[in-house]
Amino acid sequence: MKTGNLALGFLGGLRKERGEATSGMSKANLVFRLGQVLTVVGLVAWGLQLKNGLFITGLRNPFAWGLYIATFAFFVGTAAGGLIISSAVYLFNLKTLKPFTRLASLSAFASIVAATAAVLVDLGRADRFYQLFFHPNFRSPLIWDVLVVGTYVVLTFLSVYFQLLPIGAKEGGRFPFAWATSLPRDQVEDISRRWTRRVALVGLPVAILIHTITALIFATQASRAWWNTAVLPPDFIAVAVASGTALVLIMALFTIDRHRFREFQGAFRLLSKIIGGALLVHFFFMYNDLLIHWWWGKEEAAGTLALVFGRYLPLHLIEVVLPLAALLYFLSRDGARSVGALVLGATAVLVGVFAHRLLLMYPAQNRFPLSLALPGKTGFWNYPIAVGQFRPGEPVFATFWPYLPTVLEVAVALLPFGLLLLISGWFIRNHPFLGESS
Amino acid sequence: MRYGMVIDLDLCVGCRTCAVVCKEHNAQAPGTWWNRVFTPGSKYHQIPAEAEGGFSMYYLPVSCMHCENAPCEKVCPVGATYTDERGRVLIDYERCIGCRYCLSACPYGVRQFNWEDPKGAKARAGYQEGYSYGYPFPHRDKEGRLVYTPDRPKGVVEKCTFCVQYTDKGEEPICVQSCPAGARLFGDLDDPNSRINQVLRKEKGERLLEELGTKPKVFYLPPKRK
Repeated sequence: MKTGNLALGFLGGLRKERGEATSGMSKANLVFRLGQVLTVVGLVAWGLQLKNGLFITGLRNPFAWGLYIATFAFFVGTAAGGLIISSAVYLFNLKTLKPFTRLASLSAFASIVAATAAVLVDLGRADRFYQLFFHPNFRSPLIWDVLVVGTYVVLTFLSVYFQLLPIGAKEGGRFPFAWATSLPRDQVEDISRRWTRRVALVGLPVAILIHTITALIFATQASRAWWNTAVLPPDFIAVAVASGTALVLIMALFTIDRHRFREFQGAFRLLSKIIGGALLVHFFFMYNDLLIHWWWGKEEAAGTLALVFGRYLPLHLIEVVLPLAALLYFLSRDGARSVGALVLGATAVLVGVFAHRLLLMYPAQNRFPLSLALPGKTGFWNYPIAVGQFRPGEPVFATFWPYLPTVLEVAVALLPFGLLLLISGWFIRNHPFLGESS
Repeated sequence: MRYGMVIDLDLCVGCRTCAVVCKEHNAQAPGTWWNRVFTPGSKYHQIPAEAEGGFSMYYLPVSCMHCENAPCEKVCPVGATYTDERGRVLIDYERCIGCRYCLSACPYGVRQFNWEDPKGAKARAGYQEGYSYGYPFPHRDKEGRLVYTPDRPKGVVEKCTFCVQYTDKGEEPICVQSCPAGARLFGDLDDPNSRINQVLRKEKGERLLEELGTKPKVFYLPPKRK
C-alpha cells in the first residue's frame, strides 16, 4: 500500500488538509485547470500554424503524416475502448464494473473530442472543413471516418447525459437537465435507464466501427507495405480495448477516495485483466503479421522490417516492453493490489500504445513506395522526393526523412490532451461520476 | 480522349531539362519539383551505380503517372482530385482541404504539399527584384474548377497536370516540347493511330509498380543497355 499512498499523494495535489469528501473534486479541479492551460497553449500554437502553414512542423513531402495523425489514432483507440467497456456492462450485465460505466462513457466522450481536435490541426486548410459535407467522396475511407467519428461524438455525449440525468434533475435541474425536474423521480430514473441502454446498444457497434474504419484508412493503401495488412483493423480493436480500459482505470483510481479502494478492488482486478487479455491478443496479431512479412523474404517487406528492427528499434522496444511488463503484472495475482501499481501499469500501457501509434508512421513513410531493388545487392533505393522547402546549402531531394516533431508541433499536439483533461476534469468536478459498488 | 505519355529511356540523356522547364512553366516554388530525373541506385545523378558484374547507369524521369486506377483520387475525401474527360488527373486548388491522404496513397511520390505560402518561399529564394516565372494566368476546367494558378494557396496539394493550361489549347506538355533528345512522346491512348499507340504496338512499354494495379498512363521503353 506504500506505493499506493505515494500515488494518491501525487494525484491529490499539494493541499493535504482537504477533507476526504471533497478531495476527489479538488483533484478534478486541478485536472480541469491543467487542461485549460494545455488547451490554451495548443490553441495559440495552432494559431501560429494556421498563419505560417504546416511549415512549422517537422513534416515534409517525403513524410507527410506524423505526430498529429498518430495522436488521432491513439485517441480514437481510447475512445472506442471507453464505450466498449460501458456498453459491455449494460449488454452483458457485468455487475462488478457497473460503478464505472459513467466514467467509461465520459472517457470515451473526452477521447473522441480529443481525436477530432488532433485530426483538425493536421489539415492544411482547416477553414475548408465544410467541403467534407458538401462534396463527400464515399470511396475514401476518410469520409467514412468523419461520419462514424461524428456519430460517436453524439452517442458518447448522450451516454454521459442520460447516465447523469437523474442526478442532474435532483440537483436543481440546471440547463440540460431542466426539463426532467418536473417529472416524478421514478420516471426520470426509468428514462435514464432505458435510454442509457439504447445508446449502449447502438454505441457498441459504432465504437468498433470507429476503430475499424480508422484502421482501414491505413490498411487499404497497397502502396505502403507496413499498413497494407488485413490484421490491422482487428489489431486496432485489441489496442483500443487495452488503451481505452487503461484510461478508464486511471480515471477511476483518480476519482475514488483512498479509503474506498478496497470496495472497488474487484472491479479494478477485472479491468486490469481486460487490459492484460487485450494486450495478449494485440501482441499475437502484431507478431503474426511481422512473421508473415519476414518469412517470405520479399524485398519490400525486408526493407520495412529493417526499419522496424534497425533505426526504429528503440520505439519498437518501448511499444513492446512497457505494455508487456504491464500485461505480465496485470495477469499475475498481485496485479490489482495497490493504487500505485495500477496507475503505473495503466500508464505504461498508454505510453506503450502511443509509441505503437508513432511507429505506425515511421516505417510506412520512410520506406518510399517507389523504391527499386538494386541488382546484385540487398536493400532498396528510395526514388528521391523533393522535400517541399528550399534550405540553402542542403539537398532539396531526400531518400529518407528523419522526422522529428518540432517544439511548436508538440505544442499544437497538446491541444487534444488539454481537451481530454479539460472535459473529464470539468465533468468530474461538477457531477458525481462514481456509481455505488455492487 | 485519354492522354498518355511514352518515355524512351534509351533516348533520355539525363539532362533534366524537362524537370527545369516544368518547374519554370508551372511556377513551382523553391523546394517543389513535379518532375524529377535521377540515376537509379546512385547517390549522385550521372554517376554510375554499382550493379551485378560492374556498373549501371540509366536515367529515370518520374512525374505524375495519371493512373487509371488512381489511389490519390480514391482516397480524396472531398473529391478535390479527379480525372477529367481527357484522362488527366487534376486537383481543384479551391477544394483541397490539405489532409495529405493522397501523399500517403500515391506510390510514386509525385504529390507535393504547400507547407507554406509559395509567395513567401519565392521571396526568400533570393531572386532579383521583379523576377517572376511561370504561366501567369489562372486556368479553370469546364466546370470552373481552379486547376492551375501561378501561386497555389498555402496548405493544398499540387502535382503535374500534363500541363493542363497548354494541353487544353492543343499544345503538348512542356516536358515533351522541350526534351532535346526527343525521348518523350505525348498523345491519345484511345486513338489507335496516335504516335504513342504506334510505338507501344511495336515495343513493349513498361509501367512503374505495375503490380499495384494503378494502371499508369505513362509508359517507359526500358533501356536496352543499362
